[in-house]
Amino acid sequence: MTMRRVPAPVLFLLVGAGLAVVPSFGLPAFFESFLYICFLWAALATSWTILSGYTGYFSFGHGAFFGAGIYTTATLAVSFGWPFLWTLPVAGLLAALFGVGIGAVAFRVRRLRGELFALLTLAVTFVLSTIVLNTKIDGGPGVFLSAVPLPKTFGSPVGTIYLLGLAIALVTVWSAYAIYHSRWGMGLFAIRGDEDVAEVLGVPTYRYKLVAFGLSCFFAGLAGGLHASFLTYVTVAESFSLLVAMDAILMSMFGGMTHWFGPSVGAGLMTTILYSLTGGGSAILNRILIGAILIVVIIFLPEGVFGRFVHRLARRRARRASAQPSPPVLTQDAPARPANPGTSLLVCADVRKAFRGLQALARVSLEVHEGEILGLVGPNGSGKSTLINVVSGYYRLDGGRLSFAGQNLAALEAHRIARLGVSRTYQIPRPVKWLSVLDNVALAAMFGPHTYDRPTARAHAWRWLVFTGLADKALALPGSLNLHQRKLLELARALASEPRLLLLDEVLSGLTPTEMAGALQLIRQIRDRGTTVVFVEHVMRAILDLTDRVVVLNYGHVIADGAPRDVMRQPDVVKAYLGKAYA
Amino acid sequence: MLEVADLDVAYGDAPALWNVSLTVRDRELVAIVGPNGAGKTTLINAIAGLLPARRGDIRFGGHDLSRCAAHQVCGHGIAIVPEGRRLFIAMTVEENLEIGCYIPTARTARQKSLDRVYSIFPILRERRRQAAGALSGGMQQMLAIGRALMACPRLLLLDEPSLGLAPALVDHLFEVVTEIHRDGVAVLLVEQNVAKALEIAGRAYVLEQGRIVSEGPPADLLRQPHIQEAYLGHGGQVA
Amino acid sequence: MPSLTLLLQSVLSGLFLGGLYGLLGLGLSLTWGMLRLINLTYFALAFLGAYLTYQLATVFRVDPLLTLLLIIPGFFLLGVLLQEAFVRAGVNEFISLIVTFGLTLIIEAVIQWIWTADFRRLESGYGAISFRIGKLFVPLPELLAFLIAAAVSFLTWAWLKWTYVGKAMRATAEDPQIAAAFGVNHRRLALLISGLGAAYAGIAGAFIALIYTLAPSQVYAWIGVVFAAVIIGGLGNPLGLLAAGILIGVSEAVTMAVTAPGWAPLVSFTLLILVLLLRPERI
Repeated sequence: MTMRRVPAPVLFLLVGAGLAVVPSFGLPAFFESFLYICFLWAALATSWTILSGYTGYFSFGHGAFFGAGIYTTATLAVSFGWPFLWTLPVAGLLAALFGVGIGAVAFRVRRLRGELFALLTLAVTFVLSTIVLNTKIDGGPGVFLSAVPLPKTFGSPVGTIYLLGLAIALVTVWSAYAIYHSRWGMGLFAIRGDEDVAEVLGVPTYRYKLVAFGLSCFFAGLAGGLHASFLTYVTVAESFSLLVAMDAILMSMFGGMTHWFGPSVGAGLMTTILYSLTGGGSAILNRILIGAILIVVIIFLPEGVFGRFVHRLARRRARRASAQPSPPVLTQDAPARPANPGTSLLVCADVRKAFRGLQALARVSLEVHEGEILGLVGPNGSGKSTLINVVSGYYRLDGGRLSFAGQNLAALEAHRIARLGVSRTYQIPRPVKWLSVLDNVALAAMFGPHTYDRPTARAHAWRWLVFTGLADKALALPGSLNLHQRKLLELARALASEPRLLLLDEVLSGLTPTEMAGALQLIRQIRDRGTTVVFVEHVMRAILDLTDRVVVLNYGHVIADGAPRDVMRQPDVVKAYLGKAYA
Repeated sequence: MLEVADLDVAYGDAPALWNVSLTVRDRELVAIVGPNGAGKTTLINAIAGLLPARRGDIRFGGHDLSRCAAHQVCGHGIAIVPEGRRLFIAMTVEENLEIGCYIPTARTARQKSLDRVYSIFPILRERRRQAAGALSGGMQQMLAIGRALMACPRLLLLDEPSLGLAPALVDHLFEVVTEIHRDGVAVLLVEQNVAKALEIAGRAYVLEQGRIVSEGPPADLLRQPHIQEAYLGHGGQVA
Repeated sequence: MPSLTLLLQSVLSGLFLGGLYGLLGLGLSLTWGMLRLINLTYFALAFLGAYLTYQLATVFRVDPLLTLLLIIPGFFLLGVLLQEAFVRAGVNEFISLIVTFGLTLIIEAVIQWIWTADFRRLESGYGAISFRIGKLFVPLPELLAFLIAAAVSFLTWAWLKWTYVGKAMRATAEDPQIAAAFGVNHRRLALLISGLGAAYAGIAGAFIALIYTLAPSQVYAWIGVVFAAVIIGGLGNPLGLLAAGILIGVSEAVTMAVTAPGWAPLVSFTLLILVLLLRPERI
């Protein structure tokens, strides 16, 4: 993992050292407790964000892992007499194991997105708390830790708890920071934006989510283990409370859940607000306040307090960086790939795919030769998009053979197919909303066949943005682009992985004639540099101008395959499009 | 009866229709043909009130439809058979038909309309308690048409009814459309299958890339190269 | 192993409790299924209804069942207002979960503020009445709750199945655009169903007051189980919900009789987890 700003570790050390010596100032004990609570919530909110903020999989079960940590320490220290400090890493590990176990199953379920994952994690909390409550782990009366010996710092065990709390918060926030700037973090954000697109770009989504979940739970468990010693008396109701999960979510959202520092800001702010307004006393007022802030934040301030600040900065930077718009230019620094023109690159043999009774592809056989531009046409519903989805790995084949450069694609997951050098665009552009234009393109370079690291990928991405004429929009968010620019972004992203095969799905739809001419020019240049192109289109003039060969699909069958002008005059092609009278 | 003038429709910032004007007179059968991506479905959806227009007028029987909310359009006498049918698949055949006559004016004629639909599509009567999702493509298309008929419309909007249907069923489909038209309902038919559409239409428009490029009686259109240009990229002879 | 009588008595009380689960979850199920909004507020509203029933019955000496005459229309209105607020605030499916949790927190805290955290028990004549079937006891309040729950579920199901408005509701849940093309006014139907859901919650609350001792924190105790019933029964399916509620209630009761009371929640949540993993399309 690389760090973007050199002073950051220094910053962390300074802040850490500064906070570490606070107890020695002799302030009233209240301050230490207050700061400790801030550290605890910073750790909980940040650890929640590592999964849920970064990937968008909202976990409502953070309380389960926190509680698991609490009870691991309680059980090990009280029932087994372990030294307190040794229980902490075990608490973290056990919580992480739970998380990975749940994630391993849950993330495999393809349709388990959004609310379902939230409910699942909620249910897990209840199950875990019931088990703890009814077995010897707690059994009902709660567990007393007051007898557990704690090492003393600054003259009392409270000082140790303070320092440990600080340490855990620092480690958690530092991890969030490191992930945020790493390749893994980029992948997580891509998952948040559009998981299907991320997978097809080469992001190993399952693995990334699982590890993020595990890490998130680890820190929650760690914090729980420590908090057990702070509380000295733990009960199931308090430890596994729904409120723990909701508070963590709230604090993270309040500060800004997609940023590594947002949750800490939220934790600090919320703790301060709650303490100053209610003196930590009135639980009723606490709850009303939390409820009100929850509602206000999620409706009116979805980016969070700190998040909004960060986005505003980013937008300002993007506007300042807008240079003169540059026309699409072919840059020469990347070597054109030596192609073996004429050899078979993609082979489809008897490919079949059906959906709920509709045979979308019925024994499709075709070959794509290296170095050509192949047009794929056919009336609506003929199976063109389905074929692209099958080749890129979004759909599984029902039958037949599909091979690319000799490799069998049928058994591969989509991200592995991307690694082989297959890339595609979407008819309706699907950029990742959370990432800048530059990062959208860099994503492909990072997870494509070359798997560049973040800075190198960004450098490559610049090149492709210049190539497609989007250089002045590099730091902007995709939402600010118009349709033409979003199509160019699709193209740049598809090219950034330097694919051997590029699948273009109706890239011209919605473009004006001038924009279309520019796009066609770009595609020609792409082919000249050694990329094979499959070009799905309805705009017939473009097909006739651009393609070397055309395959016509109708009702999932290949009905023609040959030179464009010849094919479009064949009787059954004319009949497929216009009907019998014309043939 | 239906007058569309200078219609501009866009999806977000992606313009789909430019300056489209067309009319459908009482009891006419008008076809709109054009290749994919031309904007045919966008046009139909805009007329049915499912899409807002950026500019332009849609008037039906003198009423300004662009001021209507989506659920008020049907009450004026327009019913739609949407692209891809869009049936309520969890509901039964008969329930789908009943939603068709939801508007108060049609509700009173429920039994009469049902009988009429069942006589045009006898197979729907057999399957009236089956879930719509369990029907085959051809039957679903019939149900979608039946549902629209239940609204006792003066204008029927048909969006690519032949899509996904086996060729044999397509013939039957167009026979049904002709029969409905003969009963006195005006029809605006959007079709990819040009030959079939021009066979039954009294008048047609050619839509290409969001603009009307040609209009007139089918015989005239067949003589011009516009259609072949639009679909096949050439206006020349067939090999 | 407990005696047969004890087992049967457990089944019976589980049955009655299951009916109450169904009634409590009906609003949530309908609005989630039809409007794609996850509305947790119904739980807090139910308890508000419970406390209001308690207040009216204890302080104003109104017959608890008569309080329903006030609660049903009042809560219906509340539900309508809530839905209108959601529409204006642009609340979509996902944030509805968090927004309504916030509302639940607020309402529950207000309840505690007004009525304190002290336990409140509604003493009514109904509580003393119970029937005997063989060796089994059938307390009247529980029986009434179950019968009302079953009746409401059945009536709602019938309404959805056979009336025009009910069919329009189902259609607009599936495809609001095309339903609108045939004249169905989605916004108005949304208000109707939200009002109904709140009214159902109010009814459930009245019976909770009759049967149980009230404490504000209990709002949260019901959320998990009822959620499980809603999902297992299928969104927007009143009879499915009732069946799921009964299934959960009976399994919980039997588990409690056979093992220890604390294990009961495991049943519903394990079932929920299984359904979420094996049949995610239920949502």
